[in-house]
Amino acid sequence: MGDRIMLGRRIRRRSKTERQDTYGSSTCNDVIDPIPETIEEVKTKLNGIFSECDDFIHREIVCGEDIRIKLLVAYFDGFVDKKVLNQDVVRPILEYFSGLKLQDDDINVYERLKCCVVSNSDIKEAENMHQAVEGIVSGEALLFIEGECRALVIGVKAPQGRQVEEPDTEVSVRGAREGFVENLLTNTTLIRKRIKNPNLKMEMMHLGKQTRTDICICYIKGIANDEIVREVRERLKKIKTDAILDSGYIEQFITDDRMSLFPTVGNSEKCDKLAGKLLEGRVAIFCDGTPYVITVPYLFIESIQVSEDYFDHAFFATFMRILRILGLLVSNMLPGLYVALVSFHQTVIPFKLMITLAASRQGIPFSPFSEALLMIVAFEFLREAGVRMPRSIGQALSIVGAIVLGEASVAAGIASNLMVIIVATTAICSFVVPPLIRATMLLRFVFLAAANFMGFLGIAIVLVAVFIHLCSLRSFGIPYMAPFSPLTVPDLKDSLVVVPIWAMITRPKILMQNNGRRETKAKRQEGLRQ
Amino acid sequence: MRFRKAGFAVKILMLASQCVLLLLLAGCWNNRDLTELNIVTGIGIDKSENGKVLFTAQVVEPAAIQSTSSGRGKGGEAQPSPIFVESYEGDTVFEAIRGMLALLDKKLFFSTAQILVIGEALAQDGIYEVLDFFQRDHELSYDMDVIVTRNCTAREILETEFDMEPIAAMFIKESVENTSARAKVKHTILIDLAKDMSDRCKQTVLGQIEKIGEKEIKTEGAAVFRDGKMVGRLDQFETRGYMFATGQVESTIVNIPADGSIIAAEITRTNGKVKAEIENGNQAVLKVQVKVDANVGEYKGKGVINSQEVMERLQEALGEEIKKEILMAVEKAQKEFASDIFGFGTYLHKFHPEYWNKVKDDWNDIFSKLPVDIKVDAKLRRTGIIKGTIRSQ
Repeated sequence: MGDRIMLGRRIRRRSKTERQDTYGSSTCNDVIDPIPETIEEVKTKLNGIFSECDDFIHREIVCGEDIRIKLLVAYFDGFVDKKVLNQDVVRPILEYFSGLKLQDDDINVYERLKCCVVSNSDIKEAENMHQAVEGIVSGEALLFIEGECRALVIGVKAPQGRQVEEPDTEVSVRGAREGFVENLLTNTTLIRKRIKNPNLKMEMMHLGKQTRTDICICYIKGIANDEIVREVRERLKKIKTDAILDSGYIEQFITDDRMSLFPTVGNSEKCDKLAGKLLEGRVAIFCDGTPYVITVPYLFIESIQVSEDYFDHAFFATFMRILRILGLLVSNMLPGLYVALVSFHQTVIPFKLMITLAASRQGIPFSPFSEALLMIVAFEFLREAGVRMPRSIGQALSIVGAIVLGEASVAAGIASNLMVIIVATTAICSFVVPPLIRATMLLRFVFLAAANFMGFLGIAIVLVAVFIHLCSLRSFGIPYMAPFSPLTVPDLKDSLVVVPIWAMITRPKILMQNNGRRETKAKRQEGLRQ
Repeated sequence: MRFRKAGFAVKILMLASQCVLLLLLAGCWNNRDLTELNIVTGIGIDKSENGKVLFTAQVVEPAAIQSTSSGRGKGGEAQPSPIFVESYEGDTVFEAIRGMLALLDKKLFFSTAQILVIGEALAQDGIYEVLDFFQRDHELSYDMDVIVTRNCTAREILETEFDMEPIAAMFIKESVENTSARAKVKHTILIDLAKDMSDRCKQTVLGQIEKIGEKEIKTEGAAVFRDGKMVGRLDQFETRGYMFATGQVESTIVNIPADGSIIAAEITRTNGKVKAEIENGNQAVLKVQVKVDANVGEYKGKGVINSQEVMERLQEALGEEIKKEILMAVEKAQKEFASDIFGFGTYLHKFHPEYWNKVKDDWNDIFSKLPVDIKVDAKLRRTGIIKGTIRSQ
């Protein structure tokens, strides 16, 4: 109940601070502009709108025995599949009307075209010039008819973009290889393929004043919490921006705490993962032009969940979960702990280790703090360069990096052996939990600085601060640290411990959907008996 | 959520100012680099010629340790010694420690000290006063081994270098701690010594160390104290007897004479208790009760252990042997030192306080005249994987 109240409060605050504007106002001009009746006028108008657009094509078709029927096809070159356009639209028209005499005026060309001639199944109507233009810019062919103030919008969009491939970012050993692509409809299809259910809802909308990017809110009705779905809709509607070039834009607009280092909106490139999230009652937001699909609400625990956890034996999955948490802690705190140990708390180091530490520190001109800083920053340079540079240079960089960072810096007495090991371990561990890489990267420095000021005390202070922050975060009204805080016992089944998939009877309780059980008890027992 | 502009700016400002305050604190409180420390591995205290305290520190050179361990066997140029030993004289230990900086470059770091070696001469003069610093200082590790020298000074012990272990103190510590397999040297760590010293009903016993060669030391026997002053020594068997009585034996080899042959029994488990009982109103009888489990480890001679009777006979003999050792220790403590090292007094203090209050002022003298009843219950459990000796079959 508390969450519900919180959600309400959030909405209220938002509506107070941000003025509601009418969503879906026109792109070009607000005055409703009717489609002229004559083709000539239409042509002039279109030429006016699409002046200097050399890829804009319009073709006039004149047909009928008495050359009474005048049509105009308009579209963007390349955007439209010309083959389909010719086959489904132009040729049927020519064939149908070639022998037709328009003796009687009761033959309604428009209705004929719509119902009998155009063989394409995706036909809409444009009532005014604004809708027509919108159709053209989003890749559809427009068919104008002499004497009509309506036009047909024919969906003959050419298939664009790459094939469905395995995603680079979220690699899994076991599980589906399919990843999302840039095309929105391909992506929604991939999900439809996995969840064959009419309750899988896809609500389309446009965002971005200039880009008019297609956005799709996807959820399973009856599983997803209606309030969250409503909240998603509201937040998306409030976005006022010129361009949505990536789902990352949306992410930043709709995230709860915009200043937090921790992600409260998730993204994924993998279809099976997204399907799993939808089935848990989350809401997905597809964005045309990017393979990354957003999911909300996004909780902390999701960063250590991997789809393979559910395919594998529960013991391994549990082990991997613990390993990931460990990796997360190590990548955050290891340099800080090291600095605290060697500059404050030498007394807790075991004797033999201390000799090794002291020997490796011998002759290093920097304090442990500056040494750590130096090496971590050097590693971050290397990492960033590795991401940005052309693939072909990668080999050279990795060799130089390995030699300079590893061997030479030790040989030159700039860094100690141990520091190289620590930075390397830290770096490796930071990739164990990919969603938190960025948060970890910054927190590492905070921990390091705190350790240098106050030793373990400093680390403890930062740790407590981070935990307080984490516990105060919310994602679409859901506490970020659930199921740990607030403790939601049923949800612990999929946290640090993963129970086998046949024992995951209930959906995440914290997401508060109406239909808590994954299947009815009777059915389940029946299934077991078989 | 949008921050209200002014509030956010104020928050940032406050945070920044707090960070600046942190910078002022930085480095002042206890922030010291490992390379700014001299790592002490062993501490020695002696009586100097002027009757003052001579403090000795064995300091390790970490880089040299690494090079000796990695470059060993290469031969060629002489390796720098991984340890160096410095001594400084002072009226108090602390003064000597700070004074020692005159001979050194960096501050001494004591929490790594593995052993505290007490010179013989100082031990005879009394250790209570000198050891105050070692309990008071927060930096010292409470689990360092405390031992007393025999026929040499603490400095001589600390100067010894060993071929096998570059850190001399480590070698000595391990040597003392392997008493768990032989029970012939008393192993005392600093915290236990402190407890012993604060216990007025019990006298202190410390292990002893001897220098027997250029690069050799021997840890065997124990030094007996009375009221903080060393009054004598126990040899290895008496030490073992003492340790049997006080239940400190973990494992050792006891020889049993049996029909002209010798059987070596490996003690696997012991339980030793000292007690005292009041008889006839005011006469205390001291009791030592020891339970021992042992295995036959070696049979030197001709014989077969093939029956229950043989085993029982052997058990009895083992009990006698252990009893003999205990008796030796008890008699020495009573007759020679008049020092209750076993802690009978502690038992009386706990269970017979009225009696204790009467005797506590001259307990050590009363102790030396009391009768002692020693009971050893020895059990032989296993005979190894053969029954008789090779010849006998």
